[in-house]
Amino acid sequence: MSRTGRLTRVLGGVFAALVGAFLIAPVAVTVASSLTETSYVTFPPQGITLRWYAEVLRKPEFLSSFAVSAGVAVAAAAISAVVGLAGGLAIHRYRFPGRAALETVLSSAFAVPTIVLGIGLLQWFAQMGLASSPFTLLLAHLVLTVPYAVRLVLAGLAGLDRSAEKAAAGLGAPPFLVFWHVTLPAVRGALIGGAFFAFITSFDDLTVALFVVTTDLQTLPVRIFNYMQYDYDPTVTAIGTLMVLFALVAVVVIERFVGVAKLFGADEEHKGKE
Amino acid sequence: MAAVGRVAGGAVTAGAGRSARRTGLLLALPALVIFALLFVAPLFTLVANSFRTQTGAFTLGNYARFLGDPFYRDVLWNTLKVAGLTTLGCLLVGYPFALYLRGRSPRVRNWLALLLLSPLLISMVIRAYGWLVVLGPNGPVASVIKWFGLTPPQLLYNDTAVLIGMVHVMLAYMVLPLMGSLDRIDPTLVPAAKGLGAPGWTCFWRITLPLSAPGMLAGAMIVFSLTASSFVTPAILGGPKVKLMPYFVYTQATTTLDWPYAAAIGFVLVVVTTGLLLGYSRLLRRGKGEVVFQ
Repeated sequence: MSRTGRLTRVLGGVFAALVGAFLIAPVAVTVASSLTETSYVTFPPQGITLRWYAEVLRKPEFLSSFAVSAGVAVAAAAISAVVGLAGGLAIHRYRFPGRAALETVLSSAFAVPTIVLGIGLLQWFAQMGLASSPFTLLLAHLVLTVPYAVRLVLAGLAGLDRSAEKAAAGLGAPPFLVFWHVTLPAVRGALIGGAFFAFITSFDDLTVALFVVTTDLQTLPVRIFNYMQYDYDPTVTAIGTLMVLFALVAVVVIERFVGVAKLFGADEEHKGKE
Repeated sequence: MAAVGRVAGGAVTAGAGRSARRTGLLLALPALVIFALLFVAPLFTLVANSFRTQTGAFTLGNYARFLGDPFYRDVLWNTLKVAGLTTLGCLLVGYPFALYLRGRSPRVRNWLALLLLSPLLISMVIRAYGWLVVLGPNGPVASVIKWFGLTPPQLLYNDTAVLIGMVHVMLAYMVLPLMGSLDRIDPTLVPAAKGLGAPGWTCFWRITLPLSAPGMLAGAMIVFSLTASSFVTPAILGGPKVKLMPYFVYTQATTTLDWPYAAAIGFVLVVVTTGLLLGYSRLLRRGKGEVVFQ
């Protein structure tokens, strides 16, 4: 290899390492500073202690917020998977009145800013006389999670060879068994990945939750957001570390079943959740 | 979006006949109901409210107020500025990174892509909090500056802090379409040009860069519109001092309690961001399989 070629290679490697450091910096610093013995957040941490993790357990408001968030997120994941499977099958296989409308709405759901959705839901719920509750929060989160579930199911169905279903049916399998043994396995990965993604989307959401929740009902992100405005102690870094570990598990599962890049449409148009 | 349409377009085979129509409708019903009641209706309410006074009479005053007030024009301008600078930042960091990824083995690529996507999968609040620590008075950046015997400047609660936080989240949205674009370039073109005596830089300027323009454009539009409409990261890293539209949607709705005005600001935001995205998907459809820009 020529000298300039080697130089480019080395420079490229250094640059990529810097970008990598930039990408992990906030998480690495959060995790490290959760161990500090000081009563303020500092990096590098001074000394090592698990005191701030114990502190989290001593704060009942964080625990109850965790319960609200986790409950809503589990429900959002389960419902998204079911609704996403049904909706994906309908769009992929049937012509029915409203199909074009559903497709349009699902795709524009990616494009509407979350903050606009939040304030729209706030005003709509108020007009309907719906008071804030974990239920209204769940309804709001479904708008964020169902489009992803449908997208993943459609991708799964696109990879399924229809002749396998026809063969099963031709051999006398009733429709339910065809669905159970042929169709469902083809979209299983999409469903599991979609459910986990729905879970973390709901669990992490702050933008919509800020509009839907009240002071009595705060999800974990809302609680952290409010806590941060007044306190600068390392409790938040401890909670953050726990949430990162949580997300890590979800990422491993999603990567295993569908591939994280697919969620964000590595090679197609896509929109995020910010 | 188009992916949905594309997949569905070629695959409708079994959906003929009346009972099939009914089955389809039945399967789609939950999704239809959810989106009619929780997406379409709220957005209509929002648009309707933006044309109302606080007491409910029809008015254009909310929009007149937004566009007429120099303060809010400034907010709009600053929103576009921060979104534009974030896009530029993502391009400057993302392009070399995408080029680097192109030459790596699939394994390395996968790992780096996962690293790239990791900010999107970690709680927004925690991620922004992490930057608060990194850029804070006791953080690593400040310690390095102090180590050199200098007084660290205020790194937080300004445009720069928001910019750093936003480039961090948005980088993936720039790099993914870029990688797609770079991968589609015929791998024999550059060696052919080199064989004909073109130096490396010329190959880059005349072949790689123009052929990756669709990816750059796609990434730029997504990053711009997502940045213009994001709330959490700017609110935490910028605070009230950094004047951005989503922040005012939030404060008008929850602090000032002027819902019609909040609705109007929100609607202007939608027009700005979806206008761009529509243009983007148009472009993408036109560019399918061919190069849009020569």
